[in-house]
Amino acid sequence: MKNFYLTLVALCFLFTVNQISAQKTFGTRNGQIIFQSPSDEDVKAINNEVSSRLLENGTLSFSLLIKGFKFKMAEMQDHFNTQYLQSNQFPRADFKGAITNISSVNFAKDGNYPVQVKGDLTLHGVTRPVSSNGSIQIAKGKPLAKANFTILIKDFGVNAPEVTEKVTITVNCQYQ
Amino acid sequence: MKILLSIAGIGLIAGLLLLYWIFNKPHRDVAKEKGIELTAQQLYDAFKTNEAQANSLYLDKAIQLNGTVADFSTNQAGQKVVNFSTNDPLVMINCTFKTDPGDLKTGDTITFKGICTGYIPDANVVINEGVLIK
Repeated sequence: MKNFYLTLVALCFLFTVNQISAQKTFGTRNGQIIFQSPSDEDVKAINNEVSSRLLENGTLSFSLLIKGFKFKMAEMQDHFNTQYLQSNQFPRADFKGAITNISSVNFAKDGNYPVQVKGDLTLHGVTRPVSSNGSIQIAKGKPLAKANFTILIKDFGVNAPEVTEKVTITVNCQYQ
Repeated sequence: MKILLSIAGIGLIAGLLLLYWIFNKPHRDVAKEKGIELTAQQLYDAFKTNEAQANSLYLDKAIQLNGTVADFSTNQAGQKVVNFSTNDPLVMINCTFKTDPGDLKTGDTITFKGICTGYIPDANVVINEGVLIK
């Protein structure tokens, strides 16, 4: 009887492992995230080296390097890195979360699916919960993730009231 | 009075020059810098072993890599991107060109020089603003 239970547990474990490994993962090393002040259009930077993974179960992560943000003005880029984001001390920003309504996305069928995303954003060494509406567009089996949300930079320990208090983050990541 | 006006005039010109410099300061041109010569594997090993030390050695520095192109693509902004392999199948050295390197293909051996922006564990060491050396 004991052997029977052990076998049952082992089978359940194998089944679970098999289910996890069967999750399809979409990834990119060159997604795009734009960082912009809603009050000053010159305060805008683009990062084209965003690493992101999206699992079919809705698990979603983004990682980027602060030094990868490119501004039109070199002087502004220097200030952003040294004075405000301290990118030598905090070189990376990460988001780990999930699409909460993933059951409404059919990865096998081309289309535009509205999604809600929730997770934790780590920026400047501070982790805070964030949420956003967005979309997953499926074309030829490959997803494109889009979202747009605003953060208060002082929530992340960044003080730049003379430049901006809010920043809008636009996500535009084409997965392979 | 004349002296005061002269001082004010010089101050005004200096202020305008400073503003002009702030708005027109050129971005770094890595082509003019001497790069730290490494292989893709050496760069990855440095970050994997001790990220803080590798950051102090390579972050924001011009890096010159010689290696075999693992894949060649175009990013969402239309810039060309080359990945160099490491011994970890998950990790690449992700290199974005500032200037178009022309047609490259998987298996080409190239020398790339760009600015290192850092390390994303289990994904990439990132180098951007790059140019093709040969």
